[in-house]
This record gives sequence, structure tokens and C-alpha cells, in this order.
Amino acid sequence: MKIEILFPEFCNLYGDISNMAYLKKCLPNEEYIETAIDEEPTFITTDVDFIYLGAMTENMQEKVIKKLLPYKARIEELIEKNVVFLFTGNALEVLGKYIENEDGTKIEGLGIFDVYAKRDMMHRHNSLFTGKYEDIEIVGFKSQFTMMYGNIENEYFMEVEKGVGINPKVKYEGIKKNNFFGTYVTGPILILNPLFTKKILQLLGIEEPSIALESDVMAAYEARLEEFKKVPFEK
Amino acid sequence: MKRNFRFYIALWGAKIGTKLLKLLKRNASFFPGKFALSICPDFMGMIEKPKTIIAVTGTNGKTTVCNMIEDVLADNGYDFIDNKIGSNVNSGIATALISGANFKGKAKKNMAVLEIDERSAPKVYPYVTPTYLVCTNLFRDSMLRNAHAEFIANILTNNIPKETKLILNGDDLISSGIAPENERQYFGISRLDTDLEECNNIVRDIVVCPKCNGKLEYDYVRYNHIGRAHCVNCDFGSPKIDFEITKIDFENKKMVMQTQEGEEEYNLITDGIINIYNMVATISALKQLGLTAQQINNSLKKQKIVETRYSEEVVNGIRIVNHLAKGMNPIACSRVFDYIRKDKGNKAVILLLDDLHDEMSSSENITWHYDTDFEFLNDDSIKQIIAPGPRHLDTFVRLQMAEILPDKIVHIKDKMDGAEKLDLSSIDTVYILYDVYTIKLCNMVKERVIKMIKEKEEEKHEN
Repeated sequence: MKIEILFPEFCNLYGDISNMAYLKKCLPNEEYIETAIDEEPTFITTDVDFIYLGAMTENMQEKVIKKLLPYKARIEELIEKNVVFLFTGNALEVLGKYIENEDGTKIEGLGIFDVYAKRDMMHRHNSLFTGKYEDIEIVGFKSQFTMMYGNIENEYFMEVEKGVGINPKVKYEGIKKNNFFGTYVTGPILILNPLFTKKILQLLGIEEPSIALESDVMAAYEARLEEFKKVPFEK
Repeated sequence: MKRNFRFYIALWGAKIGTKLLKLLKRNASFFPGKFALSICPDFMGMIEKPKTIIAVTGTNGKTTVCNMIEDVLADNGYDFIDNKIGSNVNSGIATALISGANFKGKAKKNMAVLEIDERSAPKVYPYVTPTYLVCTNLFRDSMLRNAHAEFIANILTNNIPKETKLILNGDDLISSGIAPENERQYFGISRLDTDLEECNNIVRDIVVCPKCNGKLEYDYVRYNHIGRAHCVNCDFGSPKIDFEITKIDFENKKMVMQTQEGEEEYNLITDGIINIYNMVATISALKQLGLTAQQINNSLKKQKIVETRYSEEVVNGIRIVNHLAKGMNPIACSRVFDYIRKDKGNKAVILLLDDLHDEMSSSENITWHYDTDFEFLNDDSIKQIIAPGPRHLDTFVRLQMAEILPDKIVHIKDKMDGAEKLDLSSIDTVYILYDVYTIKLCNMVKERVIKMIKEKEEEKHEN
């Protein structure tokens, strides 16, 4: 199995890169390819099984868009071919139509998804989140300068149970298309969500997946789920 | 800025309010500034400021640097105002300016030393122009408030007044680049034996050249992005240092600083690299005011790093160290973890880092755990790690992610009960790490540790 981590040298804000550290613990014998910004992504020429992109700074977002733009068709092809993708935090915005600054200027994205993001750099949104994907309850944290807009009714990742969706008026969070998962929930989402991690492993072809530190991550997950139900989602 | 009626209402209201609060023996460190700004938002622009303002900002070390600057100035007879007892955001700065002005709004003193929160730059610098601004460093901090270092650097660049002379950390490629048009001088520490070829931290906030996107090649890495580096494609790189520590003699507690005027010797009042940087930043700022090396050193050598940040006590041969390690601040915690592993002897570590405010009404965002080098606690000399508090299950997972064996870890929900689990056999030092808001808890835990050590000693005598 080939797992490609895109630009880990800077797409690693808010502990996001720990998702890959955890995946390595769950799947220690697979091939992990860390692609730097000045290298050609492996997925262009080789069929990989999993592609990960973590949260990044606004400046780096523009560099990543510029880097990935020539490979838009290939990314679309891989999504259609059911390759597993996980994009966390503002990585999802790279694949939208554009990112709008406060002054109205726009940064064109890859336009794979019919969504756009609006930045508000002096008002950071922080919240707790619980949502449902299939029968799995997902917990996590949001911390972002942007909100996303556009119709995702047919390709959302989670239904919001507590917290906000891609924007405060929408009860859907993230984008899911085939095996592409993109979410504003940031940080160690795979460590915090053992059931979702198992689902990812299943999508990667492991029929009866076991995950690293299973009993301990489950205990932390269950405690957090319980706790989130009792407290307000706003931070 | 022209004064109006609102200004005087705000000033007089704040001053009268302060006097009333003092009569009632209530804390008046926060109210005056907040009140004045609510009545007159441009208040700080209208009140007269001291002629010389030394400001200190940056992710880590600003309180320590301010304290050291203030102590040296006071020791040398300078009279100044500061925001030591207030906050470092705009209301705290306003409080300091109000206390330093008379009823007509005229400054009573010629100098101010102000700690300024970097996130508050847009609310402070339009009204307050520091003569000198020290930036200690810029790192990833609380993601909730500060997001990332690039965001904070942009805020500073966009708001620092052009007239302000900057005193910057030349070993930090992020903070050394803020407000590029401003006059500046750099402080730094030359290569140390402990410097590395490659970064061993999780977080490095600058990895590609901000000018051309080229790869940054490090001559050496001290920690995270601190070190000296250059771009492989263009002329971007670490700047030439104006105030450079060229020699550190830990044994004899001395250090040598190279300046344009020659070599100067200073007493080392710390053995941690973080506080040596704080010392260098302090000396660099004080030299701007014309203080001689001798004046600075004579005052600095009397100082101790403030006890609320570090204190130690030996009880029956076991050293107990209380060490501040700001929660939600990955670099601050990582530096402390690194310090502990490099300390001599066998150690036990009690982590009191959970956010107690969140415990009361929310649930802590623990993503910072994964930006923090808990891996440094995976060391043979660290025999036991105790994680008490509401996030104990998360900390247990994080410590295991750092490959620390579970039988070395005790995790428990009750914050106070952790100390009872301490295994003192073969331990030379017990480290109690605490957040800014858990000082009281830290002292209570310390009392329990002392009690345990004494009980153990009594048992030994009885047997």
C-alpha cells in the first residue's frame, strides 16, 4: 500500500501531522511517501492508495494551490477511482473554486468542488464539534479564519450534531465524494476518532482492522464524546 | 491626537475609580484602562506618553525580559512606569499610562517599560509608538488565539510604527524579518556544542524561503526554527548579529558578548538556553539606553528568574523543581521537556498542564499536544510521568504516541491525587510542571510531595 503525505514540511499546523504518525502506528508495514513542495507528487505517475494534506498557513495555501493546479484532472481521476483522501483544516479550500480575502480579492483554487471560502483574519472561529458520518459519531475541534459556502447537500462528509458546519448557517460539515474526505475539523482527527480511523482502514482494503493503542484511544474518545454533549460548543 | 471631552471623562473616571478601588482594597490593575477605552476608544492616542518607551513583545520570554529590564533600570536609579501588575493587552497598557499621568493627562515620568501582547498590536501601536521594541521570538502559540507564527509576524509588520527601532532575535528567521523597513539591531548566540545538524522538533514554522520559495538550508539548528540558515536559491538568510554571545561558561557561570565596542563579560544567572536568550535580549535593550556593561551586569547578577516561573527546594536529598510550562504553548512545553531530560540524575515528572478554565465550562482543545515534543520525556533518566487532571486520558495516549512505556505513566482524573502515585525510589528530582493558571495547584501538589518525602524518610528511620 502506498500512502502519500503532501508537503508535510509545512502542511502540519495544529498537530495535524500526528494523523500520519498514528496511521504509521496502525499500518507500520506500508510505504509512506513524504512529498516536499519542490518535488513532484507521486500520485501523478503512480496509483497511490491514500493521499493526505494537512492544515497550512494562508501564504502556503497559495503555494499549494499553484503546485497542485496542473494536476487537477489527475486528482479528479483519483477521486473517481475511489482512492482514499483525507484533507484537514483549510487544506479543503485548495480544492474549492476560490478563497476570498476581506478586501474582495480572490485566490483561485483548483475548482474541483463547487464551494468557496471567505477569510476574516481578525476574527478567528474556535469551537468544539460533533457530527455524524454514517453511524459513526465524530468529535473534534475547529479553529479557523474562514468559512466555506456553496451547495454541499449531495456531497457532505458529516451531519452536524453540535457545533457549526462549513459555515454557521449550514448543518453539514466537510466534503465527501467517493472516498475523498475533507473537513475543517483539525488536529489529530484519526487519534481522536478511532471508529472513523477503522472506517478509513476498511476503505484501504483491510477487512478487520485493528488500530494502535485501541483501548486507550477508545477510552479517550468515549470520555470526550460524553463531555462534548454537556458543554457549549463555542470556545 | 487632539483631546476631547470624552478623554477627560475617561481619564478622571478611571483615576477616581482607581482611588475608590484602592480604598476598598480591590485590585485596580485592570479596571482603569478598560473603563477609559470603553468611554474613549482613542484614549491611548490622546494621553501623553513618556518620552522613552521600551516595549517587549514575542511569543515566549516577554514577561521575563520585561522583569529583567525593569529590575536593572530600578537598580540604576531610573524612574519609569510599567504594566507589571496589569495585563499586556490594550487595557493593561492604558492602565499603566493612566497611572503614569496626572489629572491633566500629562506624563509624570520620562520612561515606560511595557510588555505588549503581540496579538494586541492593532489595538496598541496606532496610539503608542515604542522608542525601542524588543521581539524575543515568534513561534506557534495557542492556536485558538494566535493561529500560527506567520499570522502574528504579519500583524506585527502591519502595525509597528515606522519610527520604532527594533531589537530582534537574529537566530529566529521569523521574528528577525518583521517590519523590514524599520531600523533594527539583532541579538543572538553563536554556535553551541549542543546545536544540531537537523531539527529534532515536531514544529518548524519556517522551512522554505519567504522570498523565493527555495529550500532553507540550516548551518545548525538549536531548537525548532532557531538557529542559522540560508536559502539555497537567493540571498535570504540569518542576519549579522550585533549583540552576540560568543562564549558560555556554564561551570563558572559567565558569558561573553561581542558588540561593536568589543567583548563584554556577564554573569550567567541561568543555565537554560531560553533564559540566556532572555538575558541577551535584556542586555541589548538596556544598551540602547546608554547603560554600560558594568552597570547592567552589576544589577543583572543580583537577579533570579522570577520564582513564579522556576523554583527549587531540596527535601531530604530529593530536589523538587516547580517549572512553568505554559499549556497550549507547544514550544514553551517542549523546551521544558528538553531541559528536564538533559538535567542530571533520575527524575519523576508531574504534568499539571490541563486548562482549568476549560475544565469548568468547556473541553480543552488538545491539538497542541501533537505540536509538543512529548518525545523528549522518553528518556531513560525519566523514571515516572504522572498526568493528573481532566485530560489524563488524552495525555496517556500522547505519551504512548511518544513511545513511552505505559508502565512508566500514571494517569488519573483528580488533579491532587497524582502526587500520591509518586514512586520516589531512585528519584533525584521531582519536576512539577504547571501552567500560568495552575500555580496554586502546583504549590499544593508540591506540599504533598514534600509530605511524602518526609514520610518516606521517617519510615526509613523506623525500619
